Amino acid sequence: MALILVRFYSLWRSYLGIDSATLQADNIDEALIQLDEKFGSQLREKLADAGIRLDGKIQDYSLILLNGIALRNLKSNALKEGDVLHVFPPAVGG
Amino acid sequence: MKNNKTDKEISRHIAQSAEVCIAPDGKEVLVISLKTEASIANSLGMSAKEVEITALQQGIVPRRYLRNIGTIGLDGQIKLLQSTVAVVGAGGLGSAVIELLARHGTGHLIIIDDDRFAEQNLNRQIMSTEQNLGKYKVTIAARRVARINSAIKVTAFRQRLTRENARNLLSDADVVADGLDNLPSRLVVEQACRELGIPYVYASIAGFSGQLMTIFPQDVGLSSLYDSSSDTTPEQGIETTIGNPPATAAMIAALEVQEIIKIITGVGISVRNQILLVDAKEFVIDRIELSR
Repeated sequence: MALILVRFYSLWRSYLGIDSATLQADNIDEALIQLDEKFGSQLREKLADAGIRLDGKIQDYSLILLNGIALRNLKSNALKEGDVLHVFPPAVGG
Repeated sequence: MKNNKTDKEISRHIAQSAEVCIAPDGKEVLVISLKTEASIANSLGMSAKEVEITALQQGIVPRRYLRNIGTIGLDGQIKLLQSTVAVVGAGGLGSAVIELLARHGTGHLIIIDDDRFAEQNLNRQIMSTEQNLGKYKVTIAARRVARINSAIKVTAFRQRLTRENARNLLSDADVVADGLDNLPSRLVVEQACRELGIPYVYASIAGFSGQLMTIFPQDVGLSSLYDSSSDTTPEQGIETTIGNPPATAAMIAALEVQEIIKIITGVGISVRNQILLVDAKEFVIDRIELSR
């Protein structure tokens, strides 16, 4: 079981009221389940208050990087002690 | 040779027209005014931009750039005047980028947009006015640039950038600036820039926050964050609900221009292989290092 750091940025930090948290997980899948269990409902509530209805789990509407690498580009699913998960909203406007 | 004058004669003519100005730091600087520039350009059959470059090469500063020189130097201003920047999209981000690049003295601006100004643009698109609603953005932008800095060449493409035309529209650019409002087009621009070997400054906004990334062809970029398949890439994000307010567009556009100026002049360090996340609501700026 690896202790990893989760860092929230931008609007997600503002909505959750924290900039980081720790999780213990063996792999990314476990970490994402915990991430949504711990923070998903609070984030969705805040988003709903702002008029944004998003379906699914945090990973469905966030950009998530492990040590700066997008999850879909990871070569391994395994986590190691000290890994950092970066979680932030996409911003697409201009 | 212009009007049968040699470069030496042109330089002498410009030097003779220069006047001494006392800069804010008390130092004497040789300058030429707009009026002098125009007169020289007219009499020697040169463009205003050629006069400006020739003057700068002799250490004579076009008065309009006096407040640039301390930051980017004479060489930086020359490089800027000799450069071409393509701005894809002339909306919230794009119009502010165009305005700032014109004031900075960017020699050639390529502006690409197929849209017309609408009322919902008035909050942030600085070239939109109540009078020009319904007019094409590129037309208004080109006119605005000409009024700000007539030395600048503008190439306006009144068309939407697509996978098919991207390389053709961007091929003359030294840097490409993001003025877009959707992800699929940004991924098309990024791919075209990689193929052309041109740096691309990505930027986007939502509410009080924005993102910025300078992507050189070999760098980690947007395609590392998003699946480049348009089937799985969201066209738009939370900004459709939380909005695109004017100050956020201006703030992120200004950061984009800083990146462009640094790339062209070689001054400073760019936000490469990183994504800059700016949150003005709580005023926090983060940089995340990106890897493949």
